[in-house]
Amino acid sequence: MTETPDLIDALVENAAPVRRLRPPLLRAGLWLAFAATVLGLIAIAHGVRTDFSDCVRQPLFVLSMIGALATGILAAVASFRISLPDSSRLWIILPLPALAFWVSIIGYGCLADWVSMDPEGIRLGETVRCFATLFMTSVPLSIAMLVMLRYAALLRPLEVSLMGGLAVAAVTAFALSLFHDLDATVMILIWNLGAAALVATLGSLFGQSMLTWMASHFTTLPRPDTGP
Amino acid sequence: MSAGRRNPTPLTIVSASRLHDSRKASDGAEWSKLMARSQDGDREAYRTLLEDVTPYIRSLAARCFKQPSDVEDAVQDVLLTIHMVRHAYDPGRPFGPWLAAIANRRIIDRLRRDTRRKAREVELSTDHETFAEPSANLHTETADEVALAQAIEWLPPDQRQTIRMLKLNEMSLKEAAAASGRSIPALKVATHRAIKSLRRMLKQQSNSP
Repeated sequence: MTETPDLIDALVENAAPVRRLRPPLLRAGLWLAFAATVLGLIAIAHGVRTDFSDCVRQPLFVLSMIGALATGILAAVASFRISLPDSSRLWIILPLPALAFWVSIIGYGCLADWVSMDPEGIRLGETVRCFATLFMTSVPLSIAMLVMLRYAALLRPLEVSLMGGLAVAAVTAFALSLFHDLDATVMILIWNLGAAALVATLGSLFGQSMLTWMASHFTTLPRPDTGP
Repeated sequence: MSAGRRNPTPLTIVSASRLHDSRKASDGAEWSKLMARSQDGDREAYRTLLEDVTPYIRSLAARCFKQPSDVEDAVQDVLLTIHMVRHAYDPGRPFGPWLAAIANRRIIDRLRRDTRRKAREVELSTDHETFAEPSANLHTETADEVALAQAIEWLPPDQRQTIRMLKLNEMSLKEAAAASGRSIPALKVATHRAIKSLRRMLKQQSNSP
């Protein structure tokens, strides 16, 4: 076993100057700017949904979009805030009101205006394109989040991956509503909440181990494991 | 009241905890400066900081671990973590809570890991240990030695003295005769009887549980 004074010697030897982290709000802003860029690129390649001008006149659609966006923004802020060791764990509740608002708007919209899906309503082409948008949005945003928060693996991996997963999920759901015309209520439910639940679950299941992997591959020292 | 009498100096009582708190606060401000310099690559400041915080981390770890080696492992884990996340410290914020949060987090992680390991593993006592070489099983030999010493104690005095001189102290018959003042045939007879008695006593012991 290495003696503690020897370890201190080794750490001092490795003490290269480091660049301090920017404030968490600024870093969350950078991530959101990256998300906006990704959405902008998809908008250029794919174009927004054909009935977008009609949709923006429907208050429920606008409110659900605002709910998704607010959830994404607040969850991103919470994940960057909570990744700092001395910040309060209570930041985890920051996105919850927006999340509740978003879910209730979608739920209310479904109850008030149920559009059933006829057999012709299932269009394979649109479903595949929805999946493509889901991956094109969530994968780069998840990778960016993992790289930016890799140091949190040693501190609060569960909370950070949960908040990060929620942020990615909400932005992805926002993108899906923006780019795909989801007529049937079932489709709205599946693509909004289903995709959000999928991304958030994957984030909390694998986020912790992915953060650890990132931390061990992109830091100067291997992950400490001084145990037997 | 006489004019010459001076007012007594008011006693200021500073409790130990207040002293400790003010010490901690000054330490925190000092540590904060040292960490800021360490982030800029000042190795001496970094060494001073790590050496200063080590006793504090050790005191936190000692509350949770009993074995000194476990405490030291936890201290080293915390020091490594500080090293890896040192860029995440904002010099505008106090250093104490930052350090305490990291230390507590890593100590709790280690405790959880230890608990999980203990739940899966069973610690073996010496009763479970077996070795391929008979000579390694020393505890059985020790028991035999104790039984023999006890049996020698129970011999009549002349037989006990003879066994001690001839067998334990490895004296020759002549030396034993000179030392005890008894004849060589008498010593031979005593030895023969003593060995017979010992054999009988040890046999009885091994038969009774």
